[in-house]
Amino acid sequence: MPYQKGDWESILKKVTDEKVVIHFWGVTCAPCVKEMPLWGKFTHENKNAKIMYIQVDDVSKQMVEQMLQKANLSKGENFYLTTAFDEYLRYEIDPQWRGETPMTIWIDRDGRRTRKIGTTNFLELKRWFQKNNL
Amino acid sequence: MNSIKSQLIVGVISTFCIFVSVHTSAQGHHHASNPVNRSIDKKQDSCQSNFLECANAATPYFTANGQLYLVWSAQGNVLIAKSTDLGKSFDSPKKLAEHGKTLDTGSDARPQILVDQQKILVAYAFFKDTQWNAQVNLIRSEDGGESFSTPLPLIQNDSSQRFPILGQSPQGEVWIIWVDKRLIQESKKRGNPMLGGSIAYAWSSDFGKTFIEEQIANKHTCECCRIGMAFNSEGLPFIVYRAILNGGIRDHVTQEIGKKRIGPVRRIALDDWKTDACPHHGPAITVSDKNDIHVAWFTQGSQRQGVFYAQSKDHEALYSQAKAIGSEGAIISRPYLLSNEQDIWIVWKEFNGKETRIMAQYSVTEGLEWSTSQVISKTAGYSDHPLLIKGQGKVFLSWLTRLDGYQFIALKK
Repeated sequence: MPYQKGDWESILKKVTDEKVVIHFWGVTCAPCVKEMPLWGKFTHENKNAKIMYIQVDDVSKQMVEQMLQKANLSKGENFYLTTAFDEYLRYEIDPQWRGETPMTIWIDRDGRRTRKIGTTNFLELKRWFQKNNL
Repeated sequence: MNSIKSQLIVGVISTFCIFVSVHTSAQGHHHASNPVNRSIDKKQDSCQSNFLECANAATPYFTANGQLYLVWSAQGNVLIAKSTDLGKSFDSPKKLAEHGKTLDTGSDARPQILVDQQKILVAYAFFKDTQWNAQVNLIRSEDGGESFSTPLPLIQNDSSQRFPILGQSPQGEVWIIWVDKRLIQESKKRGNPMLGGSIAYAWSSDFGKTFIEEQIANKHTCECCRIGMAFNSEGLPFIVYRAILNGGIRDHVTQEIGKKRIGPVRRIALDDWKTDACPHHGPAITVSDKNDIHVAWFTQGSQRQGVFYAQSKDHEALYSQAKAIGSEGAIISRPYLLSNEQDIWIVWKEFNGKETRIMAQYSVTEGLEWSTSQVISKTAGYSDHPLLIKGQGKVFLSWLTRLDGYQFIALKK
């Protein structure tokens, strides 16, 4: 699905009262691409975990879909940017995010957010999803 | 380490002038002060044209006789145009290359340009295969831009070259530096994959017709950040880049490179940014008339976060203590440096959530003391990095914005 500047609020509205992880990645970002199959694996092994993927590079939709397929994420909740990946777009998502990718935002049930730059510790992520408290 | 000789034979094949479809009847492309005939859509993000108003990144070259060349990427194309009135208007752009969605338009990528009388040299990168390997292409003109060669690769291999930077020494030699992944590729094949990329370079004494022997300056560097280059008075290039140091620390270093000698790597500061992410923020460098090295960079290290400046006397001394750039509380990025006689200028972007400003400071004491910051320009939409270029005794800001046009502004002390 397309994602553009201004959409952040509507993304957040989809996920009130549950834990969600939003992962930002780029087709031309080597560490992102290396990690995507691990996200695919995690998504399949943790079907109740709510995860959204937003691809930020200015590449064709086809190329994004190819990469997602390789990572076994075609059926995931996927977005791709249709506007510039600039400071204006990032500001509404997280004012402190400087554009590093991969980047993941972990949002817990009461809406508290944590920004994590770089690759993900999937064991830690699994434990976080499984925790019952807020 | 393999030194492979690269022969680049470029002929001017045919008159390669493609005039992009002109949306209006006007001959030139007008500066923001003349907003007539602009084809920009109100919603800036659905920009469709090849003109500057829809461009991603624009790189200038200012000739000794006051001609301003601009090369830019827009809609997956690489275009060039010339201005004889300091950027107020440009002649009809010529399309040099078409790559659609495979052109490298990442936030640290930009086309490169050098002009030497009737000769023009342009470099850029695009993604050449489904593995996202990139390729650096070169385009030449021998007749002052009347015609251009078809783009040809700098390197012919199945590995990846990205983020080219072109520079011409005071002695006239052309140097090209880029992020190279052949060693990474080899390490993958050996089953011991390395992270990042390498810094590679080559030089030419015939303005880019042929390049001599690429060399690897550093095997472990960040693969997604631009490289900075500047020359000292002897024509020796100094480069600055984000290296990957022991323990996965992505901090900045400078290095002197040469035809026969690859100089030692000097770490600029102990920022200690341990990350495996792609920052997409590369550093800047200038060398003063006294051969002092001035650098600026972005970091999110454990020791400091933001944009910083430092200098080193002659590259022999340690770097000075990192000095923070920009206003407290603002989002600072994209520093750029240029020395002009006794002045060192620095510009950068400041963003407050609503507006982007280009700020500048100068020093007449080799970076020891700095003027107060001045606002040079601002915009409320997408913009490219601020760049500095000099000519006619002045230093100019070159800045492409989506809503306020391309700006070429003389800096005043």
